[in-house]
Amino acid sequence: MAELLTRVRGLRHANAWIYGTMLVSASLSLVASFVLSIDAVRLAADPQTTLSCNINSVISCGTVASSWQASLLGFPNAFLGLVAEPVVITVAVASLGGVRFPRWFMFTAQVVYTIGVLFAYWLFYQSMFHIGALCPWCLLVTVSTTLVFATLTHVNIRDGNLPLPPRIQSALKNAVAADLDAMAVTIWLLVLTLAVVSKYGTTLFG
Amino acid sequence: MGKQARTTARQQRIAQAAAARRRARRNRIFVASGGLVIVGLLVAIVVTLVNAAGGGSRANVDAPTTLVAPAGATAAGAIQVGDPAAPVKLEVYLDYMCPFCGRFDRANADQLNRLVADGTVRLEIYPLSFLDKTSNGTRYSTRAANAAATVADRAPDKLLAFTQALFAQQPHEGSDGLTNDQIANLAHGAGVPQDVINTFVDRTFEPWIAKLTDTAFASGITGTPTLKINGTVFKGDLYTVGPLTDAITAAKGQ
Repeated sequence: MAELLTRVRGLRHANAWIYGTMLVSASLSLVASFVLSIDAVRLAADPQTTLSCNINSVISCGTVASSWQASLLGFPNAFLGLVAEPVVITVAVASLGGVRFPRWFMFTAQVVYTIGVLFAYWLFYQSMFHIGALCPWCLLVTVSTTLVFATLTHVNIRDGNLPLPPRIQSALKNAVAADLDAMAVTIWLLVLTLAVVSKYGTTLFG
Repeated sequence: MGKQARTTARQQRIAQAAAARRRARRNRIFVASGGLVIVGLLVAIVVTLVNAAGGGSRANVDAPTTLVAPAGATAAGAIQVGDPAAPVKLEVYLDYMCPFCGRFDRANADQLNRLVADGTVRLEIYPLSFLDKTSNGTRYSTRAANAAATVADRAPDKLLAFTQALFAQQPHEGSDGLTNDQIANLAHGAGVPQDVINTFVDRTFEPWIAKLTDTAFASGITGTPTLKINGTVFKGDLYTVGPLTDAITAAKGQ
C-alpha cells in the first residue's frame, strides 16, 4: 500500500503526467474557445437570431456573450484562447517528446500564462457578480486554465526555471515534493465548485 | 580528516536530519489540515446541492391546482389588449425575466401604446414562465406573469402600463427577481386598483401560465421574444424603433 502510494506520487512528478495533464487541459480550453468564438462570430453576423432567450438554453440567455466584458480588448475574449492554447499544446507535446526548453522560455511562458489565468478569473468574477449569468463553456475555460497554470507552475518549480531567491525556491520545491501543490489546486477547484453551486444550484435543478 | 573536522561533519549531519524531520512534520500537518479542508468543502457542496434540489419543489407546495384562465384570454393562452376589431393582430411571446424581452419592450413601448390606442393593433400577449430557473428559486417569471394575468382579468386597460413598468424595472437574469411587494408597487404605479393588487398573492393563474408555456413551446415557439404579425413570425430588428412599426403599417395596408 505504502509502496503503491510512493509510486503514484512518483508518477505525479514525472514528465508524462505533468505534460499529459497540460496537453489535455489546454485542448479542452481550445475546444471551449472554439465554441465561444463561433458563438461570438454568429452573434456579430446576425444579432437577431441570437438575441433571444431560447427554451433550450439551459442556464442563461446568452447575456454573457453580449456583455462588454466578453470583448474587453475590442474583440471576443475567446480569440485569445485560440491564439494562446495552441502554443501551450505545442509546448506540452514537444516536452512529452523529450524536448527541454531553455529556462528563459519556460519563465516567459509562466509570466504570460499567469496573466491569462488572472484574466480568466476576472471574467469568472464578472459573470458571477455583475452579469449574473452562468456560461458553461466559460466555466470549462476557467477550470482548464487553472489546470494548465498548475502544471506549468509545478514543472517550473520542479526544474528551478523561475528566478526566485534560493530560500523561496527550496521551500516551494519542498512543498511540491510533498504534493502540497496538488492539494492546493484541489482545494481551489472545490472552492470554485462551491461558489458555483451555491449561486446557481437552484438554476441547475429548477 | 582531523578530529575537529569529523565532529563538525557529524554535527552538520545531525542538524540536517533534524531539519528534515521538522520539514516532514510540517508537511504532515499541512497535508492533514488540507485534507480536513477538502472534506469540509465536499460536505458543503453536497449540502448546498441537496438544499438547491429541495428548494424548487418547496416553492410549489401551496400553489393552486385548478386551471383558471383570465377573462378574455384566447384558447391558445394569450391575454388580449386593444380593439378586437383592429386590422393587425400582433402576438408577443415574452417572459418577464428575459433580458431581450425587456430591451424589446423598452424600445417599442411608445409605438405599441400608440398603435393599440388608435385601433391599428390588437395585442395578444403570452406571458411565459420558462425562465423561472434563472431567479434563484423565487420563480420570478411565474410571479410576474400571474400578476399580469390578474391585471388582464380584472383591470385589462392597465395591462400595457403594468407590463411596461415591469420591464422598466426588470431584474437581472440570475438575480432573485423583484419581490411580491415590488411587483405590487409597480402595479400601483401603473394605476391598477388596490383590490386587484391584493389578489396577486392568491396565485390564481399560475396553473394557467404553466399550461400556456407548455402549449407555446409545443406549437413551435423556440424562444422569447417572439412576435407574430397576423400569424407570421416577424424577423426584423426588435430592438430599434421603426422596423416593427413599418411592418405593422404594411400589414394594415394589406
